[in-house]
Amino acid sequence: MTQPDEPILEVRNLKIAFSTEDGLLPVLHGLSYTLPKGRVLGVVGESGSGKTVHALSILRLLPPTARITEGEIRYRGRNLATLGRAELRKIRGNKISMIFQDPAASLNPVLAIGEQLTETLLAHRKMSKSAAREKAVKLLEKVGIADAEKRLHEYPFQFSGGMCQRVMIAMALALEPDVLVADEPTTALDVTVQAQILKLIKQLQQQSGMSAVFITHNLAVVAGIADDVLVLYAGLCMEYAPASQLFERPLHPYTQGLLNSLAPVHRKVEVLPVITGHPPVPGALPAGCPFAPRCPFVFEKCRRECPPLFEENGRRTRCWLREGK
Amino acid sequence: MTAPVQIEHLFKTYTRRRWLGKNWEKPVLRDVSLTLEEDHVLGLVGESGCGKSTLCKVLLGIEKPTSGLVLANGQDVARLSKSEFKKLRRVMQVVYQDPYSSLDPRMNVRQLLSEPLDIHGLKKDPEERKAFLKELLGAVGLSETQLARYPHEFSGGQRQRICIARALALNPKILVADEPVSALDVSVQAQILNLLKEIKKSRRLSMLFVTHDFAVARFLCDDIAVMYRGRIVEKAPAEDLFTNPQHPYTEALLSAVPSVHRRGEKPSAEPAAECPERESWACPFAARCRYARPACQEGPFELKEVLPRHACACRVLPFKTTKSKSAV
Repeated sequence: MTQPDEPILEVRNLKIAFSTEDGLLPVLHGLSYTLPKGRVLGVVGESGSGKTVHALSILRLLPPTARITEGEIRYRGRNLATLGRAELRKIRGNKISMIFQDPAASLNPVLAIGEQLTETLLAHRKMSKSAAREKAVKLLEKVGIADAEKRLHEYPFQFSGGMCQRVMIAMALALEPDVLVADEPTTALDVTVQAQILKLIKQLQQQSGMSAVFITHNLAVVAGIADDVLVLYAGLCMEYAPASQLFERPLHPYTQGLLNSLAPVHRKVEVLPVITGHPPVPGALPAGCPFAPRCPFVFEKCRRECPPLFEENGRRTRCWLREGK
Repeated sequence: MTAPVQIEHLFKTYTRRRWLGKNWEKPVLRDVSLTLEEDHVLGLVGESGCGKSTLCKVLLGIEKPTSGLVLANGQDVARLSKSEFKKLRRVMQVVYQDPYSSLDPRMNVRQLLSEPLDIHGLKKDPEERKAFLKELLGAVGLSETQLARYPHEFSGGQRQRICIARALALNPKILVADEPVSALDVSVQAQILNLLKEIKKSRRLSMLFVTHDFAVARFLCDDIAVMYRGRIVEKAPAEDLFTNPQHPYTEALLSAVPSVHRRGEKPSAEPAAECPERESWACPFAARCRYARPACQEGPFELKEVLPRHACACRVLPFKTTKSKSAV
């Protein structure tokens, strides 16, 4: 048994780089966090911030050109970054499972839903086919699919996007994992379906007490689901804080910019405040703070030296403005 | 002066001919009437599969209407010949959702932007063309130096800017935008939304803006039509719709928008995940509606004006005049 506060997943100084013709191209520059049992961590970042690479690295699903150059990913004390293949297979889908962005593309189009669901069960558990089938029906019912018995024989194309994502969730939760890694699970879905899926994930997460890493580009999406939020920018953690504090009082100018650029639904605005400029290209990071060229509060020191993460009241912020606070 | 786009009683049914037996039929648009007024942005809001993209296709002449009238710039799009349609395209242009698949990867920016001009034989003088492309790129926030680059060298937001520039090349009066920001990061979404608002003002464009996100619609639109299963269920000026939504479906959509200002709040309406369509029911939303009652089964579907300029198709809810909770 784990203690309530013992971290299930611990990432320490994780560095990932892609090998290119011009040598190694670092995309993640030393990411650290701990995920306690039963908590949801929201990882927020723009495209190119390294959020997906980080998600894939947890289960060592990185493309062959990318590799972990430094750091540890500890799951219950074991380092996933160096674990052997056979050991890793026992963890994938069993202890840690994953949901991807595009549900229709993550399911096998030529296999019936039931076959794909039971496949996971049969691979990791000693059970008969009929028992696996029964379990599959229960799982589909759990994620809100009506007529589950009948739908087991149907194929992914007969399901809508939201339904496919429900099937993915059912597959991910089939073996009652300790950690769920969700990489933009609702980005391809309609807002109404997104609301349902978010609610479903939260509900199932609370029931089973599992932990989750929830990755998205939209801060508003994690507002309702995450306990802690980590803001990634150019492969660096810019801000890490409990969700309630982060949304109430974002400390980093980048987080503030992200929050401001969300179009509000509760009032009409004439112009949306935007973060000017573009995120830096990997390999061409500016000297100093990577956000400095776009930051409205930039001063001389920012351009010279990259700030470390400053700690205050349980939150961490990578900004010189927070120095000594 | 006629409205830039006028749609009256439009029906569109997709049919598949069967060799034996009955033809397979799928009604996608049912009795849709809409007017896009001059200098206005009309937001068409609905979930995927509700028919909003089909409506765009019919308007752009890609699909033929089954019945009903679609007037673009005063012309009936179903009856236009090929050459007449080519002329209409100078007036009406489109921006699509996915900036990755809507640009030819083998054409550079200069070729992409020149293509519409070549087709319509405009700005033939090289000097004039050069100056025009420079101005066009400036208008969408790109620079002349990027003319020789290819789409893969640009980010998603920049590609969408190229798509917008391409649509603006012919100086159209009507712009059809089919979910132009839903494939983009939120931070980039804000930039593109600001750009669309700006060019709409500076070029006096009338815009049909399709989206599933009410937050985006509120920022940009003057009028809003909410669509559900091929039908318009509510239609109103944007501010009226947001401060005083009448239809339960509109309410459900509004409450589904994720917002950092409503943390922890539960959505007011819980739309059932996926439910069988009850063809016999008059109201298409009844199966998912939390206010549904037997009366919803009977009678014809009717979009009625319940408040000035505010039409709603729900007969059960007595119309509210107070501010709704979801609009706070």
